[in-house]
Amino acid sequence: MDLLAQILVNGVLQGGLYAVMALGLALVWGVLNIVNLAHGAFIMLGGYASWYLYTDLHIDPFLGLPLTAVVMFAIGYGIQRGLLNLVIRAPMFNTLLITFGLEVVLTYLAQMVFSADFRTINPSYAGNSFTLGPLVVPVARLVAFAVAIFLTVSMWLFLLHTRLGRAIRATAQNLVAARLYGVEPRHLYAMTFGLGIALAGMAGTLYGTVSQINPYIGATLTAKSFAISIIGGLENPLGVLVGGLFLGIVESLTTLYIGQTYADVASFGILVLVLIVRPGGLLGKTT
Amino acid sequence: MKALLEARNVTRSFAGLVAVDNVSFTLEPGEILGLIGPNGAGKTTLISLISGTQPPSSGEILFQGESINHLPAFRRARLGIGRTFQIMRPFPGLSVLDNVAVGALFGRGDGEAKLAKAREYARECLEFVGLGKIIDKRADELGGPDRKRLELAKALAMQPQVLLCDEVMAGLNHSEIDEVIEVIRKVRDRGISILVIEHVIKAIKSLSDRLLVLHHGEMIAEGTPDDVLADPIVIEAYLGKKRA
Amino acid sequence: MKAWKIGLILAVLAVFAGVPWYGSDVLIQFGINALLLAVLAQGWNIIGGYTGYASFGNSVFFGLGGYGVGIAMVQWHLPFAVGMAFGVVLAVVFAVLLGIPVLRLKGHYFAIATLALSQVMTAIVSNVGIAGQNIGLVLPPLNNDPLFYELSLGLLSIATLTIWGLTRSRFGFGLIAIRENEEGAAVMGVNTTLYKVMAFALSGIFSALAGGIHAYWITFLDPASAFDISLNVKMIIMAVFGGPGTVLGPIVGALSLSAISEFLSSEVTSIAGLFFGLVIVVAVVLMPRGLADMLRRMRKLGWGYFIENIRAHRL
Repeated sequence: MDLLAQILVNGVLQGGLYAVMALGLALVWGVLNIVNLAHGAFIMLGGYASWYLYTDLHIDPFLGLPLTAVVMFAIGYGIQRGLLNLVIRAPMFNTLLITFGLEVVLTYLAQMVFSADFRTINPSYAGNSFTLGPLVVPVARLVAFAVAIFLTVSMWLFLLHTRLGRAIRATAQNLVAARLYGVEPRHLYAMTFGLGIALAGMAGTLYGTVSQINPYIGATLTAKSFAISIIGGLENPLGVLVGGLFLGIVESLTTLYIGQTYADVASFGILVLVLIVRPGGLLGKTT
Repeated sequence: MKALLEARNVTRSFAGLVAVDNVSFTLEPGEILGLIGPNGAGKTTLISLISGTQPPSSGEILFQGESINHLPAFRRARLGIGRTFQIMRPFPGLSVLDNVAVGALFGRGDGEAKLAKAREYARECLEFVGLGKIIDKRADELGGPDRKRLELAKALAMQPQVLLCDEVMAGLNHSEIDEVIEVIRKVRDRGISILVIEHVIKAIKSLSDRLLVLHHGEMIAEGTPDDVLADPIVIEAYLGKKRA
Repeated sequence: MKAWKIGLILAVLAVFAGVPWYGSDVLIQFGINALLLAVLAQGWNIIGGYTGYASFGNSVFFGLGGYGVGIAMVQWHLPFAVGMAFGVVLAVVFAVLLGIPVLRLKGHYFAIATLALSQVMTAIVSNVGIAGQNIGLVLPPLNNDPLFYELSLGLLSIATLTIWGLTRSRFGFGLIAIRENEEGAAVMGVNTTLYKVMAFALSGIFSALAGGIHAYWITFLDPASAFDISLNVKMIIMAVFGGPGTVLGPIVGALSLSAISEFLSSEVTSIAGLFFGLVIVVAVVLMPRGLADMLRRMRKLGWGYFIENIRAHRL
């Protein structure tokens, strides 16, 4: 029983992290209809950015989040404005291809600049954990989880209650409607993508504190983010949160009861089932 | 003589909205049946129920006396139910000729197995509707009136027994409308029964043998054009709309 | 078809077929890889290019073909041809069973579903005993590169011929109609479900055959490399770069990109991958309809072709 509780806690903590990882992807996909195959690579970049901030400038990764966010936002804005905006109205798989190309470029650049060594961000308190009765909760994981929840809820509030947020949501429906908010479409698109990349970058920071980063983690993280976005639905950040938690718990349970190697089967199997039965995600529309 | 097409107590509702409410009518062989009603009356939905793009919530659709409720859209097409779309659905990357050839290849019965023969028949259909000169243009290069004719040609190439026409005259000027009326009459002369949805009252009055009126999904009148258009209930339905 | 065109094709074919005689060993090996990739690109072309369903699951068929040959030869001691047939059977069964639910999805969702399927397959096969689980299978060695080369060339020819036949057949027309407007196709009498599954299965058959040849050639199989998703991405890129929905486009794409990749690897190893990615990015911006379209329309438009593309597709 204790083991089960521990596994569930692990699953929830991991799930929160998964949610913030997928948030950027879901945003860009839901609003801009861009399936960003390079999403995981941006997570990786965010992780490295934080690692350098910590190792060279001794900035705590969590405190340095705003800095990471700003840098990644700028990169995302630039890429959308300068590159992706050029192919947005082309047939669908062109955006798939171009983001794939980006993923390749980013991975190789990272390999060249950062080398292939594994890195972890290890602030002094990272090794600690505190105990809640029979449960062991690592500090780093808990903080990462808290930040993840904070970011998700903030995104939700932002999209719902700020003028820019509503303009972004309007864009998902209708580009003309978005113009009514007085924001120029090219700028709006770039802001949205920038936001998505900023989220990815921050997710990378969090990821770096609990796990190892190397230039090649991009592809797997992209795949996981997809699964979560679809399971949770693209409509709503809270849906992504549900998707992330769901996946985290399912993976933990599968690892415990069936075996490590089946964790992937479980997550992707569920993804396929969701697609077939409820394409709108667990919380989304039924069509 | 059995009715060619029959709807019995057909209802279609979704998301709390009743689009078609307990509608029953017949289409006799060789007849042109007009279907009118204010916007949102459920006319296109009714057509979708017949062609199979949407399922009825209750009621039956019969073709030549047999129920076709369970048949998917493509089977109904092969039985002989052809349809034009109000929001047109060409195959944008294909030429006009090939657009119509698809109809010939897959239409009534087993269609035509040979591509060359299908294209030949497509050519004939395009001549019939007056598009013979532009068969090699890409479908997405066509203007509004030509697209309407293309829709007609595609449906004709399927060699249908029943043709469901959804607002083929929308957006056309007077002479274009007269041309389309001629084409539809020629279609009927070929032995095809036609159900025509139209807003242009003058046109539908001269075309139709009988007229049906839908309002809020319900059938409020049925009969000869003169009778129906003089019916006070029908006039109120239209005028009431205008006042609002 | 005009006589000179046929003559040209036969001549090109002869040149290709002659490589094992006048080419170096390295060229032959490059050839086998490039030809098999071309087969994969053509296979994808059927479901992705002609039917419009961008499948990320063709690598599964490749893996099934490989494992079909592997299991038949290693576990049951059957000849290669039987193994190939077995691989094809596996592919068709997979295509039908999983195709029917998954082909109901559209666009991105279909792509993601097939991507997920390939991950699931990898994980499942890693745990199945008869397939050697994680360790994989080692096939009986056959040191005859020229044979594999000719087999690959033959398979590519058959695949290309099949696609050419498609374009002049009722079935092919139906697929194109589905791609251009699926609902419109259904209302005109096309049995869209049947056709999509058939296209999926056909593309799977070619991918499986390529997988079988590949497995026997490198004499080794393991789940991660057999179902490698990057293979699927490669075949898509090659098909789209060359020109999806055309008969020769995928071949041109596969051969040219393989050559570029090979050249870059030998000249500037570490930056090779980087350049490959850049080539893709630039190609999507400047020539989104592929090489075939560029060659056709550049004659008329010159450099304006690229500007036209950007203008047509930018926000």
